[in-house]
Amino acid sequence: MSDKKEIIEIKHLGKTFGKNEVLKDINFSINEGDVTCIIGASGSGKSTMLRCINLLETPTSGEILFKGNDITKEKNVAAYRAKVGMCFQSFNLFSNMTALKNCMVGPMKVLKKSKQEAEQDALFFLTKVGMAPFIKAKPKQLSGGQQQRVAIARALAMHPDVLLFDEPTSALDPQMVGEVLEVMKTLAKEGLTMIIVTHEMAFARDVSNHVVYMQDGVIWEEGTPQEIFGNPQKQETKDFLSRFINM
Amino acid sequence: MNSFLLAGSLPPDFFGRILFILKNYGVSMAKGAGTTLLIAIVGTLIGCVIGFIVGLIQTIPINPNDSVAKKILLKIVNIILKIYVEVFRGTPMMVQAMFLHYGAMLLLNLHMDMWTSAFVIVSINTGAYMAETVRGGIFSVPLSQTEGAKAIGMTHVQTMLNVILPQALRNIMPQIGNNLIINIKDTCVLSCIGVVELFFTSKSVAGTYYTYFETFTITMVMYLIMTLFFSWLLRFFEKRMDGPAEYDLATTDTLAYTSGTLSDPRKDFVDDRHLSDAPHAGEDNMNNTRR
Ligand SMILES: Nc1ncnc2c1ncn2[C@@H]1O[C@H](COP(=O)(O)OP(=O)(O)OP(=O)(O)O)[C@@H](O)[C@H]1O
Ligand SMILES: [Mg+2]
Repeated sequence: MSDKKEIIEIKHLGKTFGKNEVLKDINFSINEGDVTCIIGASGSGKSTMLRCINLLETPTSGEILFKGNDITKEKNVAAYRAKVGMCFQSFNLFSNMTALKNCMVGPMKVLKKSKQEAEQDALFFLTKVGMAPFIKAKPKQLSGGQQQRVAIARALAMHPDVLLFDEPTSALDPQMVGEVLEVMKTLAKEGLTMIIVTHEMAFARDVSNHVVYMQDGVIWEEGTPQEIFGNPQKQETKDFLSRFINM
Repeated sequence: MNSFLLAGSLPPDFFGRILFILKNYGVSMAKGAGTTLLIAIVGTLIGCVIGFIVGLIQTIPINPNDSVAKKILLKIVNIILKIYVEVFRGTPMMVQAMFLHYGAMLLLNLHMDMWTSAFVIVSINTGAYMAETVRGGIFSVPLSQTEGAKAIGMTHVQTMLNVILPQALRNIMPQIGNNLIINIKDTCVLSCIGVVELFFTSKSVAGTYYTYFETFTITMVMYLIMTLFFSWLLRFFEKRMDGPAEYDLATTDTLAYTSGTLSDPRKDFVDDRHLSDAPHAGEDNMNNTRR
């Protein structure tokens, strides 16, 4: 892991909403090709941290280095976000567009690709996530699992350097969870750098190579899945994990 | 007011009189209705454009990183727009018509002809209402849509044009229709500055023979036909905007083409096993990797 190139480094990241200090001095780094899972109790600040990474939230203090540049001082936020994809718990597909258009609009408008190129690319990624038959469907006409797979294709069509996931399966029925996790496993195998906030412990254990346990707005413990799941050092981590008996 | 010449003697019964009026003044009344429609439609369209521009400016987000100049400029523009909206929503269109048509002449030494005044008044009046409607329409689009757009690197303008406005437009279509219908009816107040629209014409016709009841029966029906027609037309547009209620599954032919001709745009990313799984693409091809 250490011989790999660092892509994101978070230094002393802090975020407060009013008087509520949600993130306190977060430090960690991510290498290219890492699959990082962020786990922790509800309200521990996982989403907030993920949203800070692509500047959907503005950090109150600290630095986020992306390939060495501090993006908290970045003027062209949109250009940075184009390189960092994000998949949301509620999918956030554009409801006025078909599945295909959802995957084409970013490449065409942001990356200025031709319609033809964007369409080919979109079809490639929709095929990859198994959604090719549904290219003409509007988001409302798709199941949750199908929507999330389109959302993943939409993010992939931007050819991001890093893909962020905020509980991508939490809004899904159990049988749909499988289809989305399967897609994510494939991406992990292909070496895409991913940061995943999840409550799917089995997935975190089997697919990631880096697990971060958050509590009360700080990183309580981090390490390899073997370390965190097999031999957690802190009592709080043990307590948290003991709640997931079905692993 | 009575610009119409007598056209013979009046039949004694109600329907006879209606026919008589239609025969002799039907064309004039139809012309009046045409003027009404022209002003209402053009005024509504320009009003919508004004409304969209004002609504868009009012929803420009101010980021903490923006320059002070931009913040101050936006603040000033927003105050001016707020005054515009409140003044034109808060006063009767008839008063606005008198104020602008005669006021512009006196104050600005600007002589607007009746037509210009008519279009200007209906447009800016509608614009004031539409500004609020558009603002509401923009806020009615869930935040998740904006975040989805931001997450793929769209700028504020790109997000607005591609994601938010199309949805806002769909949401406010009923309100646009409403405005058009209100304008068809309310252009009658422009008769006060001498615009010969349907109401003006009707009054003249009615006065000629003193047939108020008969003439305004016809006028009522004419207004009703116009408003009903446009309600129907706008409903039709709304349905068109919604697109089909069902979708077709893409055929295996399309998919064979897709997976057969596609080369991965990013070589270091490809997993060839998945491309060779393509014959099953009609199914969920991710299932192939599932144990
Ligand atoms: N926009 C906001 N304004 C104020 N407080 C917020 C805001 N967003 C989040 N918070 C607070 O920040 C804290 C952390 O929230 P966050 O969503 O990051 O938690 P989480 O770890 O993702 O939880 P979950 O597992 O339930 O998604 C919570 O106490 C929440 O109330
Ligand atoms: Mg969360």
